[in-house]
Amino acid sequence: MQGASQIETPAAAETVRGTAGPSMNARVRSWLAVGLPPLIALVVLVVGWEFWVREREVAEYLVPRPSAVLEALRDDPGRYVTAARESLTAALAGLTVASFGAFGLAVVMAHSRLLERALYPPALLLKLTPIVAVYPLFAIWFGFGLWPKVAIAALITFFPMLVNALIGLRAVDPAALDFMRALDASRWRVLWSLRMPSSLPYVFAALRISVPLSLIGAVVAEFLSGSSGMGQLILIANGDFDTPTLFGAIVVLAALGVALTGIVAYIERRVLFWHESMTGP
Amino acid sequence: MTSNPAVDREPAVVADAVTPAVSIEGVTHEYAAETGRVHALAAVDLTIAPGEFVSIVGPSGCGKTTLLRAVAGLLEPASGAIEVFGAAPQIARRDRALGLVTQEPGLMPWRSVEANVQLALDLAGASGSASTWLERVGIDRYAGLYPAELSGGMKQRVALARALAVEPRLLLMDEPFGALDELSREAMRLELLAIWERERVSVLFVTHSIRESLLLSDRVVVMSGSPGRILDQIDVEFPRPRTDALLSEPTFIEAERRIRDLLRTAV
Repeated sequence: MQGASQIETPAAAETVRGTAGPSMNARVRSWLAVGLPPLIALVVLVVGWEFWVREREVAEYLVPRPSAVLEALRDDPGRYVTAARESLTAALAGLTVASFGAFGLAVVMAHSRLLERALYPPALLLKLTPIVAVYPLFAIWFGFGLWPKVAIAALITFFPMLVNALIGLRAVDPAALDFMRALDASRWRVLWSLRMPSSLPYVFAALRISVPLSLIGAVVAEFLSGSSGMGQLILIANGDFDTPTLFGAIVVLAALGVALTGIVAYIERRVLFWHESMTGP
Repeated sequence: MTSNPAVDREPAVVADAVTPAVSIEGVTHEYAAETGRVHALAAVDLTIAPGEFVSIVGPSGCGKTTLLRAVAGLLEPASGAIEVFGAAPQIARRDRALGLVTQEPGLMPWRSVEANVQLALDLAGASGSASTWLERVGIDRYAGLYPAELSGGMKQRVALARALAVEPRLLLMDEPFGALDELSREAMRLELLAIWERERVSVLFVTHSIRESLLLSDRVVVMSGSPGRILDQIDVEFPRPRTDALLSEPTFIEAERRIRDLLRTAV
């Protein structure tokens, strides 16, 4: 629906960006102002680390040189790519299942105080239970393949989405609701045209929390099963005292987390162009 | 009073020149508050003729908003009867006879100005064109903008266009200009005056501004609080079309004083 209204008025969208957005040059400058200091800090850290390890001749199995980590990554990139793909598949599958499931449940709960009272405590219990403890059970039910990992990633991301979606679906502008009711809009129409769009800022807030959580869930499940993915790669490297590979795996996971968060932030900016959180710098 | 030649398009609500637009009989309402039950309305009787512009003035908390919401069918009064064009408010709502404009514009921020008006048309199953109504309230230039880019006055114009677009036979307005600065407020009053003198729908207009009520209405209903009741109803007979020149006329100022005295003695 958002997409449609944007397409309907391309000229308007152009005006918005044209008048409100700073010039290209200013934008590049503001990116540099934000991005350059941490980049410099990172480079200084890595270079300092390299020198420190070389100077002090620190054993590689304790702390490898950054250049050794880079070599490990370059030696066999396919290994990391395969493992990352396995972990990512589990994380994203879990995230997707949980997000849609939680949103659907939130819709039901937003329409019935009784169901909310009935279902919220069990959902809260799910949140308070350390999910990893359930893994052996999942291994019995689902075996050692993809599914127990998906289940862990889903369980760990379910609650943030449920709570945020529920708050979002209820956080409607009362004047807008009155307007729709005065025109005798059905519950479904109110859900579709008012509650769902109103919940989007909250849904994106939940996604920002859930995306890194889903990766954690997948990797932890892989630690426990030892059968695939980045978790398995880390376990094997650990067993071999292959610290450069271990660091390489951490770098890859960090990059995945950053990339996924960046993608969510990008989509959020496009979808929530109308929201006050997006009008600031 | 002007009576609107009836336009028959609704099956359930009555559309003739004699059935009142609004008929309120013995309506009472109470709220549960921390301090116990609050009498929001005590036995209110009020009739609005088709095509009549009636304002309710009164202090904050005198129950004027409660009364308007009851007419819109957004709340059920504790007792008494309300009819809108000879039917229950819910029927009037179902037949899309109502247009609502509240103090907060209540626009959908993710929809452009035009798409906001289009939503009203879609909801009402009306065939009108959104741009026509934007033109009538003087904001067709901003059709593609989003609410966040508009001033308070502009947002209220969109809310007005949206309410008018479904061609309601009764327009319910709850302090529609209450959140605006004085200049936009004056501009909007004159704008509404011009629009109403053209469209001649029935209007129930809630305000706490005596001037506003006198400038716009055929009749001013003066309410007082705790419990909410009608103190007096004053026919406003200034000729139409009216302009803001009216504000400085002695008869206008006299009428203003009369209502103010009425409200002051009631407190």
